[in-house]
Amino acid sequence: MKLNFLFPNKFKSIGWFTLIPSAIIGLSTLIYEYEPSFLDFNVPAIFVDELFSVNKKTFRMVTNNILNEILGVLIVISTFLVAFSKEKSEDEYISKIRFESLAWAVYFNYAILILTFLFIYDFAFLWVMVFNMFTVLLFFIVRFSWQISKLKKSASYEE
Amino acid sequence: MKNSIKVERAKKNITQAELAKLAKVSRQTINAMELGKYVPSTVLALRLAQIFEVEISEIFTLEDSDWD
Repeated sequence: MKLNFLFPNKFKSIGWFTLIPSAIIGLSTLIYEYEPSFLDFNVPAIFVDELFSVNKKTFRMVTNNILNEILGVLIVISTFLVAFSKEKSEDEYISKIRFESLAWAVYFNYAILILTFLFIYDFAFLWVMVFNMFTVLLFFIVRFSWQISKLKKSASYEE
Repeated sequence: MKNSIKVERAKKNITQAELAKLAKVSRQTINAMELGKYVPSTVLALRLAQIFEVEISEIFTLEDSDWD
């Protein structure tokens, strides 16, 4: 009857289980620029714009280290599982809190992005772009979990 | 919107947890409705009316601020 775009509750723990290690590995490979050569592959690319080259090409094979691709996909999928798996007792009130938290996270994320537009320049902005790919959902997870824990606390004394 | 869920619950002598189970929602939702923090969907309102065996308008009353 209801289409709510949510995964079953058990996917939440699977999500955390994948997210934490892949985020740690992702962050460290980013910082230490780790690119193991056994992950160098020829891969199809839709658009190629090489550094120090004027001509841009489309639909070519390029050599690329696929570690960051693997980690990026893992992080996005696991973040989705954490963010959009049902709570144990998902009902209409929880859904309302969920979608309010999502709206809040989008506002917050873009407010931060505007600040970084204004105060972070050049190469440093590349870091902003890397993190901004994931922060909307991370802000949502933090906000939603906080609201749910607040709710559980407020409902713990009754009658 | 005002509601008399707490009163109806007292009449039936059931706890928030028991009502939650009957209405198939979480206890937090019952609590939030009783505190006036959450306005339920029509479906949930009708479920509550059926559980309490009263008309829906006996549980829920509009307030002036609902017209703003």
